[in-house]
Amino acid sequence: MYRKQVRRRRAVLALLIVGSFVLLTITYGSGSNGLQRGVSTIFSPVQSVADGALKPARDLVNWFDQTFDARGRNSRLQEELRTARRDAVGADAALAENAQLRKLLKLDRSGAIPSGYTPVTGRVIARSPTVWFSDVTIDAGSGQGVEVDDPVVNGDGLVGKVSAVTGGSAQVTLIADHSSAVTAKVVPLAAQGVVRPNVGDPGDLILDFIDSTKHIHKGQAVVTAGWRSQEIESDFPPNIPIGEVARAPIVEQEASQQVHIRPYADLRDLDLVQILTGGSRG
Amino acid sequence: MILTPKILARLVAIVVGGVILQLSFFSQVALFHVSPDLLPVLVISLGLLGGTMTGAVTGFSVGILLDCLLVQPLGGASLVLLATGYLAGLFRERFEIHSALVPPLLCMGLTLFAELGFGAVELMLGTDTAVSGQVVRDLLIKSVFAFVLGWPIYLGLRRALRPALVEEHAVRRPRRPTMLGA
Repeated sequence: MYRKQVRRRRAVLALLIVGSFVLLTITYGSGSNGLQRGVSTIFSPVQSVADGALKPARDLVNWFDQTFDARGRNSRLQEELRTARRDAVGADAALAENAQLRKLLKLDRSGAIPSGYTPVTGRVIARSPTVWFSDVTIDAGSGQGVEVDDPVVNGDGLVGKVSAVTGGSAQVTLIADHSSAVTAKVVPLAAQGVVRPNVGDPGDLILDFIDSTKHIHKGQAVVTAGWRSQEIESDFPPNIPIGEVARAPIVEQEASQQVHIRPYADLRDLDLVQILTGGSRG
Repeated sequence: MILTPKILARLVAIVVGGVILQLSFFSQVALFHVSPDLLPVLVISLGLLGGTMTGAVTGFSVGILLDCLLVQPLGGASLVLLATGYLAGLFRERFEIHSALVPPLLCMGLTLFAELGFGAVELMLGTDTAVSGQVVRDLLIKSVFAFVLGWPIYLGLRRALRPALVEEHAVRRPRRPTMLGA
């Protein structure tokens, strides 16, 4: 009797393990499937309700985190303030340069959208729990015109792109996800490269494959390149701000052709985002 | 674990509620820039209460639901969580839980195992990017969160599933006889 029970347990365990491997093999790299779309459709209203109900509790916990963080930042900010005061003498020149950069980028930080795109606003209702995936679920889907590969931004800059869509929700793969790669350029140098994540640290992206002859400096802005060839083109329109160069050691630029970027968007704390639907991608 | 329709319904509610709570709350809050991971703790606690089969099956179910809702490749989270639940159940079948510290300590250790497992699955599938050293810090802090969450979740689940727990009945002390005149 006992042996039979042990044998049955082993069989169930083996079945579950084999089942997991089979599912992994079938579904890896194939995007969303019918099961996932069905489950998402059923659960997205529940998630929306749970998201709304739990928001006060989330805000409370996050307030503690931000308070601890703010204390740590205080001394650094004071030092930065002293430096900023010193630099204030050259503020007019900096403003003029800023205006030139904005003109160059055709960027309106107050929220203008690239021409041809229709923005759809969505709220983050779920988030991946592991450090290995950087995905969020938003409460806007194909019903609102959202399609796979639509770029996603927030008030600060590029957030990611839509990787799967159901009727009322969409999965957004953030630029910090291991599968993300965004063609980008540094302004005003126009040095181009590919922005890739540094898994586990969403505050640090890597601009890879840059031209090592163009020396990039800390503080320079990085925007989407939005390239286009005859048949294919980037998923992202040009000139969406991604972040600024945080570290750019000459040695690393020449040896590895890469610099480190701090994204403008706080990828750990996303709430409202805009999906740029439509556009000219073909 | 004695599985009746009522207990099965409770288990389904626990699994679904746990996954919704994780995605809508725990994944969206951060302490020290790290979000707590409730799901391994849930699976470990169920494994400790119900044994290897309960741990493995609930781990598999939680993983499938998680992968469905996050539109990730199916099977990755299931594989890791079923192994985690199975190990917790194995501990329950081989050893006695003498101290109140055992469940939270097991939650801490096996959560670290689960998080490393998620990483191993990712590497197995081919992660072609740099991995920050902060991952190690995040994993350790997640394990500490699991230690803190472990005891209340274990107690809550034991209360919710008490009628189904075999040993709870077996070791329950008989009521002390009333001594007349004492």
